[in-house]
Amino acid sequence: MSETTQKRMRIYFTGVGGQGTLTATTLLSRTALDAGLDLVAGEVHGMAQRGGVVESVLLLGGWRSPRLDPGEADIILGFEPLETLRGLPYLRPGGAVFSSSDPLPPVSVSLGNAPYPDLADIESRVRAAAGVCRFLPCRELGLQAGSVQSGNTVLLAAACASGLLPFGTDALEAAIKKYLPAKLQDVNLKALSLGAAAVAG
Amino acid sequence: MSMHPLLTGGRGERHLLLTNEAIVRGALEAGVSLVSCYPGTPSSEVPDTFRKLGSDRYVLEYSVNEKVAFEVAAGAALAGGMALVTMKHVGLNVAADPLFTAAYSGLPGGLVLLSADDPGCHASQNEQDNRHYARAASLPCFEPASAAEAREMTREAFRMARELQQPVMLRTTTRVNHMRGPVEFGELPAERSQVPFERNPGRFVAVPATARVRHRALVTAMKKAREFAENSRFNTEYGDPGVRTGIIVSGVSRNYLADALATGGWGGRVRVLELGMTWPLPEKKLLAFLSSCDRVLVLEEGDPLLESGVRELAQRHHCAVRVEGKDELLTVQGEYSTTLLLRRLAQYLDCPCPALTSAAPAAEGLPNRPPNLCAGCSHRAVYYAVRQVFGDDAYYSNDIGCYTLGVLPPLRAADFLVCMGSSISTGSGFARVSGKPVVAFIGDSTFFHSGMTGLANALFNRHDLLVVILDNGTTAMTGHQPNPGMAQEVLGEASLHLDIEAVVRGLGVTQFARVKAFNLKGVMAALEELKDKKGVRVLLAEEPCALYARRQFRKGTTQVAEVREQGEDARRCLDTLACPAFYRDGETIAVDENLCSGCMVCLQVAPKAFKARKRG
Repeated sequence: MSETTQKRMRIYFTGVGGQGTLTATTLLSRTALDAGLDLVAGEVHGMAQRGGVVESVLLLGGWRSPRLDPGEADIILGFEPLETLRGLPYLRPGGAVFSSSDPLPPVSVSLGNAPYPDLADIESRVRAAAGVCRFLPCRELGLQAGSVQSGNTVLLAAACASGLLPFGTDALEAAIKKYLPAKLQDVNLKALSLGAAAVAG
Repeated sequence: MSMHPLLTGGRGERHLLLTNEAIVRGALEAGVSLVSCYPGTPSSEVPDTFRKLGSDRYVLEYSVNEKVAFEVAAGAALAGGMALVTMKHVGLNVAADPLFTAAYSGLPGGLVLLSADDPGCHASQNEQDNRHYARAASLPCFEPASAAEAREMTREAFRMARELQQPVMLRTTTRVNHMRGPVEFGELPAERSQVPFERNPGRFVAVPATARVRHRALVTAMKKAREFAENSRFNTEYGDPGVRTGIIVSGVSRNYLADALATGGWGGRVRVLELGMTWPLPEKKLLAFLSSCDRVLVLEEGDPLLESGVRELAQRHHCAVRVEGKDELLTVQGEYSTTLLLRRLAQYLDCPCPALTSAAPAAEGLPNRPPNLCAGCSHRAVYYAVRQVFGDDAYYSNDIGCYTLGVLPPLRAADFLVCMGSSISTGSGFARVSGKPVVAFIGDSTFFHSGMTGLANALFNRHDLLVVILDNGTTAMTGHQPNPGMAQEVLGEASLHLDIEAVVRGLGVTQFARVKAFNLKGVMAALEELKDKKGVRVLLAEEPCALYARRQFRKGTTQVAEVREQGEDARRCLDTLACPAFYRDGETIAVDENLCSGCMVCLQVAPKAFKARKRG
């Protein structure tokens, strides 16, 4: 611990209230802690959870601040494509984006008062800005693994399998086995392989 | 008993904790006897964690408001136990009365007050800086910057509170409450730590004669506290001792500074004095630092309190150091950040600021995602009915809770809101001077918090308004904490359910109706009847919070709503009720089965357009 030589990295998570973004952040934080890394994570609770945007951060390698400013994130994990696009200014030039491609329309969109941006447009805008960009059908892969919620693990696994994090999918697998309730482990381990395979292919 | 690591983890174990969980561990390690609170973001996870643990090591209570919570905790500390009382920053305004006088009498068992401030107004109506209270009431104050520090400081705050017999403040801010980090545990005591109460009315009965004496005792205690601050391990220096460019920093800004220095590569160019115990100021330590610097920059979110103290100290001791602090960049508003401090440090050190570029500019015109009343929220049904009956003729006095979200169109059920419990009293004053009809909305928890006094006043002073109590049976906004209105079977044996109707009638309200919020016809009929009457009228609208009912009672309906006829009626319902379970698919309107809770209010709004069907 506390080796100043640890590689510093900042990850920005964004999603929608009720999706499980904070649970995913905590799982990845525990993975990092067990991998012997210095870390701090930050999240915003409160009103945001009534269907609002939920943002959180994980900073590895000796950072102390529990928040990010635009241009500071090395990696964005977007659990909803509109929120990935909204959060894009947080990415540093050349940073990586892993995002779900499954929209959760905000109320203004479902009530017909505003259009949801075109998905292909979102993807091309993210691709133009990011050094690495992967959009994954997390909902479908999650369902394939056994539950919509495990779509979050698909996204975490994709990031771990990319080689960009200071740990790999084996560390995430160990964390799933250590920290998730027994009845959720199989589904999430399956989701992990699907996420890893999706970026390998 | 719970097998949670917070209760079972031994000395030396490391766990990833939310700061609010680390505060719990610190209090347990200190030997806390009683925890009282009124929930409020960002403090709520502290009592909620104690509740989840459910240990017999301590007693936990959700008090009806912060003043009561403080007084209960003060009583526990008088009786010789260690007491923790938690609240959000604005809650301390409510608790300020007992706070000031408890500091005079002192509390032998030891009381720690958690004041969770909210710079940036993430979930609050203001961003007041409660470090003022530490100064005004004379409380030693700790400001942690990490989860690990929060555990240590909570423990140290209790040690100090017991030794000085004075209340001690643990002051946090939202970013700190809601950060996670590794925490190394200390020892858990075998039992809670208690001292006997010795009768001493000359000290503990606050009257003028004792107050004069106790004020002197308080000044003496704070002198001792200042010595603690001088030697506190939380007040530390780093950087090359030869450097004469100084920074004095406190609270969460310590994190932003450390990261900014690392990013800029400026660690060798400044000397830093970090304050974790921030009141009383360690004057000797500060003066030694100031004397060895040509310039110092003071970094603190909120008001320039530390800065003023530093300036005063320098002036008093004829210290020639140049002091910088709040300016156009470092304002009293909002939060600091690493990039903000990078920019300010670049100026201070007269060097270029590292380029801060984003991969992309902010995308424009994206649909927003504001928080909203849930699908199946009973508040929406009541607001809809009130709008139908009163329209824009009435003025709407709202209060604090989920239901504040009724301010949004199309419900537009809020014209003004001041603070917790203000709906009835502010509505009373508004009606008296404007002569207009006023409808005041208040939730069950807020009613018990400070609505009851406003209602008593409205009766006593013969005010004229309609009060709608939105009773969803829980403290929904902050995470479903108990309140006296909660059902007895949920409360369990430790708490007693209070009947809101009995309270209202007991105060003397005679114009009263009690309705089920989802019975639209019943709600509207009651509103019509109360509308034309004069004086204080109360409508109690009941329906459990939909989220809570699903979680607590595993209550799921077997039915969902479905559009059976497209057209004008369906559109009217969508435009006026705006339930988030509705969606437009091109020209047609549909109901998302996964979101629909089956409340069937839409069927009553537009019977021709909607029908019920079996789920699935």
